Amino acid sequence: MPPWVNFEPFIVSGLALGGVYALSGVGLVVLYRATGVLYLAFGAVGALGALIAWSLTTRAGAPGWVGWLACVAVAGAVTLGYGLLFGPALAKRDPLIKAVATIGLTLILYGVMDLLWTASGGQARSLTLPTDNGGFTVAQIQVTWTQVIALAAGVVLTAATGAFLRFTKLGTAMRAMANDRDITATLGVPVRRVEAAAWLGCGVLGGIAGLLLADLVALDATTLTFLVISSLAAVLIARLRSITVTFVAAIVIGLLHDLLTPIVSLTSYRDMTPFVIAAIGLLVLSRHQVMTQSREEA
Amino acid sequence: MRRHISTRRTILLAAALGLAAAGCSSSSSSTASGTGSTPASSSSGSASAGTVSTSSCGSKPGVAATGTPIPLGAIATNQPGTSFTDIPNMAKAYFDCVNANGGINGHPIKLYIETEQTNPAQIAADAKQLVQTDKVVGIVGNTSIIECSVDSSYWQKLGFYIIDSGIAPECYSTPNSAAVNMGPRYSSDGAVQYALAQHVSKVVFDQANVPGTGYIAAGPAALAKAANTPIVQLTENVPITDASSVAIKEVNDAGPNGAVILNFTPPQALVILQAATKLGLENRVKLWGCSTPCNTDFLAQSLGSKWNGKLFVNAELTPPDGTNTTAMNLYKAILKKYGSSVQGGIGSFSQMGFTEAEIAVHALQSISGPYTVQSVNAAFKAVKDFNTGMLCQLWTYGNYPLHIPNNADYTVTANNGKMTTAQGCTPISAADPQIAQYRSAAGTAANAP
Repeated sequence: MPPWVNFEPFIVSGLALGGVYALSGVGLVVLYRATGVLYLAFGAVGALGALIAWSLTTRAGAPGWVGWLACVAVAGAVTLGYGLLFGPALAKRDPLIKAVATIGLTLILYGVMDLLWTASGGQARSLTLPTDNGGFTVAQIQVTWTQVIALAAGVVLTAATGAFLRFTKLGTAMRAMANDRDITATLGVPVRRVEAAAWLGCGVLGGIAGLLLADLVALDATTLTFLVISSLAAVLIARLRSITVTFVAAIVIGLLHDLLTPIVSLTSYRDMTPFVIAAIGLLVLSRHQVMTQSREEA
Repeated sequence: MRRHISTRRTILLAAALGLAAAGCSSSSSSTASGTGSTPASSSSGSASAGTVSTSSCGSKPGVAATGTPIPLGAIATNQPGTSFTDIPNMAKAYFDCVNANGGINGHPIKLYIETEQTNPAQIAADAKQLVQTDKVVGIVGNTSIIECSVDSSYWQKLGFYIIDSGIAPECYSTPNSAAVNMGPRYSSDGAVQYALAQHVSKVVFDQANVPGTGYIAAGPAALAKAANTPIVQLTENVPITDASSVAIKEVNDAGPNGAVILNFTPPQALVILQAATKLGLENRVKLWGCSTPCNTDFLAQSLGSKWNGKLFVNAELTPPDGTNTTAMNLYKAILKKYGSSVQGGIGSFSQMGFTEAEIAVHALQSISGPYTVQSVNAAFKAVKDFNTGMLCQLWTYGNYPLHIPNNADYTVTANNGKMTTAQGCTPISAADPQIAQYRSAAGTAANAP
């Protein structure tokens, strides 16, 4: 086992990685709680927005803020468009079908990105934010403001969306609609409008996450599109219910993942961390649920 | 309520299945390291860009070839995240130029290009399609992650001698394939060799965790052993999502007087190097190195001046910037006029396609009789000491049990957003047993270290 000092830098990088997972994970739970849809295209819309931002800023010479706004707007528009087009038709379908339908959108967006931002000729792209130029040092490792913002965004997002869903009228309507669309409609809630707001909000979150992740991880369609898979581990541990648990689980996964890096015998297996933790988490939670049910039956 | 719990369980199951599927799948943006960029050359004479026109690619300028086409074939990987189609597309551009200027004794060359998605059955079918349906008489421009592994025995059985850009071990270790590039192993050798020449105390060699890592790692390991320098071998799953921890680990393992050598595709290498920049790690080791794929000005631009004199990259082909030779100018002219389908423009991939095509044309021009599988492949095999103008050394196919005809490299370095030459043509060390074996077979051992 390496000395503790060897682990210190990985705490910093682990928190940053956890923040990355949290950004995607929290977005997934928010939309699920609002619409009942596990939106697996969350990473793809963010990637699309980030690539458009890259094209605007590096190819068209647009100012950075135009690119950032375009990223968020495109992700929001694509998600809203999907929600308006397919949301009503899929509203009464099985949740599995709803989730699989979003894989369809993922693959379409992925194909479009591969076509428009090809990797042919070994082309590579990057998107850097001005916040990369400043920061502070911890354990001999420089921490950029972008990393701090990503972590803070996760915390703010968790608190804000939790409060929104709990205390606002629109949030309550979203939760009600996710539980039962028909009953909510009979109570006079404009379900189409509420649903549209949820899709738009999720898309905007996807755009913000895409922008930050393009800087923190990579501006690469494959990486950003499928990063959502690792975030699913945190979502699973939270059982698609708790935004707070999702955030905490994401941070723990990120930390454990990176803390395994200096351990020679385990470093090759560290990418399994999200899946192993998700499996353990689900087993423990299932056991707890069975015990609770047994107690209730007794 | 029960319905709600059931619904939640279903969606959790779906998500869990998604996780399992993801765990089993491999990344599409992985692989491919080593089919890289620029370098080395024996110039074929100096010329200004204005003096070379595309008409010089054929024997009868301005006269279109109208004879019976000579069918050639190529197979290239083309999948999300990994596309090598620029290479056969550039070869086709060269052939189009030849066809518009007299062809091969009046015969135009027709290049059939098949693409594949790293599916062995599909690749085998592609080869059969080329041979049985398209009736090709030669294979020029193959660039695929696993094609050499899949089709090697098929080509040997039929008597085809392939001119390709190699990735898989079989592209270099079999009698029927000769590549114009070095591929990931020998390119990594070049990067490690440069680091060892700078007297680093330790080498950390990190590469993508894809099939063939053991084969690639054997080269750098042999070089480090010969230099009595410790080497740490690492692999990373791609696409890399934790570049910060990767960069920290590399730097910690190498130490302040060590070297970190990367063998990744440009996007993945860039992710690691940018993470190192953000973490302030670029000066924590003596030098950083990279196999050929890092040799792009884009990468140098993205890294900026912080990396001046810190990153040293192996280069397999003559750097196009600032090279003013007949071959280089012809390459640029053909690319401009006929290369509309070459998406990457000027760069190592299109250089490889150009080089393969010019070797093939040189061989075809030597045939006096009909263009058959026998005559064309005999001509390919007979190519000896051909000056491509794109490589450090003369290119030979020959009748050898293995082929590494490109085994001398340049080293370039990131300098204010450009890649500039740090070291001229240098033979790859024969400490790599494969290089030693090839030089012994080719009779060139006496001329190299």
